[in-house]
Amino acid sequence: MRNLLESIILMAALFLGPFGTSVWAVQQSFENMGITKPRTEKPAPDFSLQDIKGNKVSLEDFRGKSILLNFWATWCEACKEEMPSMQRLYERLSGQGVEVVAISIDRRNFDRIKEYAEQYKLTFPILWDPDQKVRKHYYIMGLPTTYLIGPEGKLRGYASGARVWDSPDSIQALTSLKEKM
Amino acid sequence: MLKKNLLSLFIVNVFLLIFVPLSQAFVGLCCAHCGGNMPLNIPGGGIPETHEFRFKLSQMYMEMGPLRDGTSDLDTSNLLGVPNNSTLFAAVPEEMRTYMTMGSVAYSFTDNLAGMAMLGYVRNEMDMKFNAALTTAAGGTNGFTMFSHGITDLTLLGKYRLYHDDNLAPTKQASMIFGLSLPTGSIDKQFSRNPVPGQNGTILPFRMQTGSGTVDPILGLTLQASSDPWWYGLNFKWEGHVYDNDQGYHRGQELRYDAYLMRQVHPKAVLLAEMNYWYEGKYSDEPFDQRVNGEGHLGFNPNNAFISPLNDPNNYGGHQLAVSFGFQFQPIPLHIIELIATMPIYQDLNGPQLRQDYMIQATYYVELPTKKSRRYKGFKPPKELGF
Repeated sequence: MRNLLESIILMAALFLGPFGTSVWAVQQSFENMGITKPRTEKPAPDFSLQDIKGNKVSLEDFRGKSILLNFWATWCEACKEEMPSMQRLYERLSGQGVEVVAISIDRRNFDRIKEYAEQYKLTFPILWDPDQKVRKHYYIMGLPTTYLIGPEGKLRGYASGARVWDSPDSIQALTSLKEKM
Repeated sequence: MLKKNLLSLFIVNVFLLIFVPLSQAFVGLCCAHCGGNMPLNIPGGGIPETHEFRFKLSQMYMEMGPLRDGTSDLDTSNLLGVPNNSTLFAAVPEEMRTYMTMGSVAYSFTDNLAGMAMLGYVRNEMDMKFNAALTTAAGGTNGFTMFSHGITDLTLLGKYRLYHDDNLAPTKQASMIFGLSLPTGSIDKQFSRNPVPGQNGTILPFRMQTGSGTVDPILGLTLQASSDPWWYGLNFKWEGHVYDNDQGYHRGQELRYDAYLMRQVHPKAVLLAEMNYWYEGKYSDEPFDQRVNGEGHLGFNPNNAFISPLNDPNNYGGHQLAVSFGFQFQPIPLHIIELIATMPIYQDLNGPQLRQDYMIQATYYVELPTKKSRRYKGFKPPKELGF
């Protein structure tokens, strides 16, 4: 009986090896980044906000792309730590179906957000949520907070606090969103 | 002594600078839920984030003088003469200098409740002038500098947030402050440098004591608001003195109102302005050593006139309105420096007594997150979104 069980496990390992290794690596990248996966995949709450160029931008506009959706504010020191890594990630993966979107929850002073983007040379979409409506739909309690959203528009990950978003683990986690989990 | 205080300040700062970076392996999380920003010299200011400690060290210097009765300044020399208990005295103060080093530690138990403890070390110097008789008695010396030093009363405070409109970045908040002042300071400080024979070893006047001698309740209310880039608020605090200490007196009741306005001028710098109002009642009675033993009275007879206006419990307290200006600066994350100068603009005092001239206070503040802090753990993901 024991030999039979060992044989089944060995056969399963041989068949599922490559796939299993890949799943394990993705899982490990989520863990290393401190990204929590959802228990139930739910659609990301929709939004439509003005970006710093004055255009209306909605979540729908990014359908088909994996999204790193980041909530931040100009007064948030921890946000400043991770912004440069988000820009590097954007430069590296924007052509590969990955989008970086940041939503500022500053209540006032739109110009300061623009100045901030210029200062840190941020070229990814930066949106403004002065009324805190989108922030509340995403249950943001601290900054920075980041959600990973799959190409189909479902929430696939959550991270509270600053991260280095262009690390190999982060890139693996984001590129894995294209695959159906 | 000042050098000693500065040395202590330096040693503690070095310790904190070394200790705090060791604890910074956190994910980095910003939450302004604990009260936004408040000047550190106002009770309830400088509340740490939830499950974090805050250590605060401040050095205050205050100069007092000249004498004042009501709203009019008095010349010390005009009060010197044959003592009559009201307008003339044998020894009259001219100026006072107070150096106080305050250390405090605070911890936030929840988003709404923080506790803090404060203890100080104070050093008082008061320049005194003698009348002709005391000058003769002192061997020709026409005055001296009265001196006392020691730890102050220990203050234990709690701050409980009653209302806020937003947990992450509140624009309106109301909190109550409650606590006790414990009698760790002294009410038995004695003369040690008096050149008049027989005076050393007798009790020093009220203001030279370093404590109240009683357990005193404290109640207060803080209202905080913000509208980027401004922070502003109102603060009220009452400290009661409700029973007599071992010397058989208690201090007058104390009320304090503060209004403040702060403006962020740089991501790491905030300018601030305050309007401060104090009311303090008179002392209830003379200390036992004066009332019974006759210390502070001519000829050690309690029925004789006071040697100095400082010995009369009625020459204390009054109303004071002051303005304060300062700035806060954050050189590196978790470390804040504040400098504030306070100047009275109106004083109506029960006198004659020395009025406040000016006060400056430098504060160093450092936050120390524990492993339970959100800066390590972050926030839990929302169940509502499937997590």
